[in-house]
Amino acid sequence: MRPLAMKLSRVLFVAGHLSGVLGLWPLPRSLETGSSALTLAPTFDVHVNIAHPPSDLEDAVSRTKSFLKNDKLGRLVVGRGATDSDAIKNAKSLRSLELSLFQGAAVKSITEEARLPIGTRNEGYTLHVPADGSSATLTANSTLGLLRGLTTFEQFWYEYAGQIYTLEAPVSITDSPAYPYRGFMLDTSRNYFPVSDIKRTLDAMSWVKMSQFHWHVVDSQSFPLEVQGYTEVASKGAYSSDMVYSPSDVQEIVSYAGARGIDVMVEIDTPGHTAIISASHPEHIACAEASPWTTFANEPPAGQLRLASAATTNFTAGLLASVARMFPSTVMSTGGDELNTECYAQDPQTQADLKATGRTLEQALNVFTQTTHAAIRAEGKTPAVWEEMVLDHNVTLGNDTIVLVWISSANAAAVAAKNFRIVHGPSDYFYLDCGAGEWIGDDVANSWCDPFKTWQKSYTFDPLANISESQAHLVLGGEQLLWTEQSGPENLDPIVWPRAASSAETFWTGPGGNLSTALPRLHDFAFRMRQRGVKAIQLQPMWCALRPGKCNLNS
Amino acid sequence: MKLVALAALLATAYAPVQALWPQPRSIETGSSTLRLAPNFQITVNGHGVPGDFLSAVSRTKQYLFGDKLERLVVGRGAVDEPKFAKAKSLQRLTLSLEHGKSFASITSESQKAPEDRDEAYRLVVPADGSGATITANSTLGLFRGLATFTQLWYEHDNTIYTVSAPVTIQDAPAYPYRGFMLDTARNFFPVSDIKRTLDAMSWVKLNQFHWHVVDSQSFPLQIPGFTDLAEKGAYSSSQVYSLSDVRDIVSYAGERGIDVMVEIDTPGHTAIIAQAHPEYVACPQATPWATYANEPPAGQLRFANSTVTTYIANLFTAVTTLFPSTLFSTGGDELNTNCYAIDEPTQAALNATGRTLEQALDVFTQKTHKALEVKGKTPVVWEEMVLVHNVTLSPQTKVLVWISSDDVKAVAEKGFKIIHAASDYFYLDCGAGGWVGDNPNGNSWCDPFKTWQHSYSFDPTANLTAEESKLIYGGEHLLWTEQSGPQNLDPIVWPRAASSAELFWTGPGGNISTALPRLHDVAYRMRQRGVGAISLQPEWCALRPGACDLTA
Repeated sequence: MRPLAMKLSRVLFVAGHLSGVLGLWPLPRSLETGSSALTLAPTFDVHVNIAHPPSDLEDAVSRTKSFLKNDKLGRLVVGRGATDSDAIKNAKSLRSLELSLFQGAAVKSITEEARLPIGTRNEGYTLHVPADGSSATLTANSTLGLLRGLTTFEQFWYEYAGQIYTLEAPVSITDSPAYPYRGFMLDTSRNYFPVSDIKRTLDAMSWVKMSQFHWHVVDSQSFPLEVQGYTEVASKGAYSSDMVYSPSDVQEIVSYAGARGIDVMVEIDTPGHTAIISASHPEHIACAEASPWTTFANEPPAGQLRLASAATTNFTAGLLASVARMFPSTVMSTGGDELNTECYAQDPQTQADLKATGRTLEQALNVFTQTTHAAIRAEGKTPAVWEEMVLDHNVTLGNDTIVLVWISSANAAAVAAKNFRIVHGPSDYFYLDCGAGEWIGDDVANSWCDPFKTWQKSYTFDPLANISESQAHLVLGGEQLLWTEQSGPENLDPIVWPRAASSAETFWTGPGGNLSTALPRLHDFAFRMRQRGVKAIQLQPMWCALRPGKCNLNS
Repeated sequence: MKLVALAALLATAYAPVQALWPQPRSIETGSSTLRLAPNFQITVNGHGVPGDFLSAVSRTKQYLFGDKLERLVVGRGAVDEPKFAKAKSLQRLTLSLEHGKSFASITSESQKAPEDRDEAYRLVVPADGSGATITANSTLGLFRGLATFTQLWYEHDNTIYTVSAPVTIQDAPAYPYRGFMLDTARNFFPVSDIKRTLDAMSWVKLNQFHWHVVDSQSFPLQIPGFTDLAEKGAYSSSQVYSLSDVRDIVSYAGERGIDVMVEIDTPGHTAIIAQAHPEYVACPQATPWATYANEPPAGQLRFANSTVTTYIANLFTAVTTLFPSTLFSTGGDELNTNCYAIDEPTQAALNATGRTLEQALDVFTQKTHKALEVKGKTPVVWEEMVLVHNVTLSPQTKVLVWISSDDVKAVAEKGFKIIHAASDYFYLDCGAGGWVGDNPNGNSWCDPFKTWQHSYSFDPTANLTAEESKLIYGGEHLLWTEQSGPQNLDPIVWPRAASSAELFWTGPGGNISTALPRLHDVAYRMRQRGVGAISLQPEWCALRPGACDLTA
């Protein structure tokens, strides 16, 4: 047995990894493994020892059984599974995995558990896989914890010549996440993604135990969300009538996510990033499609909500409240990034509104923000905002507001100093779109956030850099983000995976992971994703993937 | 008046009424709407029409009726609906060879030496519904015309139409070599991926597939008489291109007007040969790899050893039987001298023959190139063979310039024909970060990413005299696959690789602003045809030509 939870074990752990045996991602926080071969019996089954198990748990168990049978992943060593044929010949067989909740734990659906407020979800589990063929056990305080444990269990197994096996038995794991918010953000406005792409992404997220899908659903370019009472915004603002998320699409996405332990935080970015609302409501938008766009927006088209207008504020509050009712999460983002003041300086109506009320633009923004936040709070939501709302503007926010840091990782400390809860989404570590060149036409420039953020770069992120011990509790976690100016269904998988898994481990296992030992595990996970139909890219030539450590900088 | 004129100018500049890619060298279009009749026919005039040409005609019909591409304007095809009622219908496209020319297969035309291929064609589509025609000197030219013809059409509500009739096009490529290179050694690509890539290449009139089939990491090519190389050197037995796979790829390419130039990179980039023949490879998997190779694993042919030289000459001879092309690349890049300095057999061989390493390389190169020349092949090499080493090359040798576009001039001064493949313009893998492990801040060595706009602005004859400019054979985009596989092949290649396709067909100096809407169009059409080309911009921009330009 190799005790991996302790400092000393790090060395042993390195040895284990370089042989490429252990392919868990994210790495459990406490893990002991042996070196015996164990096969899955042909009759292997998962037993749920819970009276009246929720149906989403039963579905999760079916998925696990399907992955165990269908992953058919050859172990990543030279010679692949053939290398293991002797070891598995005389191996014991595992007949069952026994699932149970700890005594006294309430039986709720995975979906309910996953939608609890961030910080109150129980994702811990313990998993034992004996080497002698006796039953494996998975125990947790919640069905959500059981789901996380099933995900880990699925990653043990390789296939060769019809045998499904591990070489690591016995296994003993006690696990729970370092941070509760482990997310991925997708922008579905710059380019549209069909529901099937979002579902596939949710599947992949669940395989690395991500807990939060941040859905940047609308922006200045298109408004693909059908909102009850506001259907004209999508009917005039979507790219086409078949590029709209209907209420039933949203319901499907939200429940698909919930069943996979993922909460959906929707974002309706306001008051900037709203040009497309002018297609249905020109009266609410200042500087709509004004040119030169560089004067009025960070990217085309220009156009922002007339935040100083009472009518626009009410419209926005109503819209946000209606959206809030579509999403069961306790959090909702109201955006707040990249507000352009020139747009309002040149908008006669905004100037008239300010004059009439005697407010400055900042004061009007404060009223707008308080009104819209009150509207979503009335629907039971905690607001989340981009960092500018705290660092650039002088608005009153509720103490529980969650702040997404995006401009630079250096800004997290300033947000913490203001005592707000933080989700890390810094462009210098977690923006998946960086490095693909400028997308603006008639311009041969580079990506604004060049260079590309490799998985290695993201993996070295320190969530507590420059944050004091007394502020550490403010860090909820983080997310990798895909802005889609240059993405669509065609490159969604390859641009996201396996890179986004890198922050999934940082925020589950905690920071400080070793790049050398992480790489073989990440290869393993990427190969497994491909077996499951997600187009994760090759991080290296396959020659390297089969020879852990041989393609390191100093090898 | 002034305003109107400006508006008209903008409309011409930006409205993608015709979205051809590459842009024909001479084109006149009108502004009439013309529908494709439901019983639209393509007729081939003449006798003895080759089978691959008839197949190309039926693929054309599939694209015409299957593309179902709505025009890229706000409101999409619905905007054009009012014009449908009055539009004439085109019943027929007639294809004929110029008087006195006789039919040969597209395949045989496209496998000629690049400078001997005749790709020119003339396309006329009247606005009045009378028959359209394509005429050319060869089936290859007719085939290029068909590729153009399919790009004229949009679909809305089951009507297939163009809004730019009449159309008169007179077209021929500026450069004979317009290629794309794929590395299938760092990571393997199934035959189906290569075929899909060949399809996409043919849509933008690329005519050369440069297949970097093997390298130090794997040897996925089955070669008669040398089958142990793939048996021991492929990633697995299912990751090998068999003889029938190669035949399949070569004929699939040929039918699409594409010649396949295979590359067996030597004497470097050959570590994997050590699996089958350890006696032929110096410094195999030597560490630290950074001392012995530009990337892991280290390992190079012991070219000073005459047995190795004979072995490679025979290997080349065997490979020539698989590829009908007149071109054959022997590689020659990134030779590492440290590897040979520590290799005792190499040092012993040099001692015995009294040769320097450079002299031995000259002998190796001449012998292996001779093996190609007797089979009628023209050798193609990477630039180092001309600029770094002192080897004797046949004046027919073509040189791929990859390290930097700045090196073109020096190659031209030596009088060799040049294929542009500069990493600073045409490397599709650049900008995706370092792939070497344990290197958190490692960027791509050839950072930044090469956007289509950057590639498009390349000048093939920069700094060259008029005389030197004649040495430019053409160029290619390249995909090295350390970080690529079937999962990201399409999105990393398309539509970017189309930018050099236009550069080398239409000629340089294209306008980025007017090119973008056409490139959006070709990207959308590729997606309709099942190639995963990326979105270059938000769709908002794709529907509003010019609105997302820097100064818009």
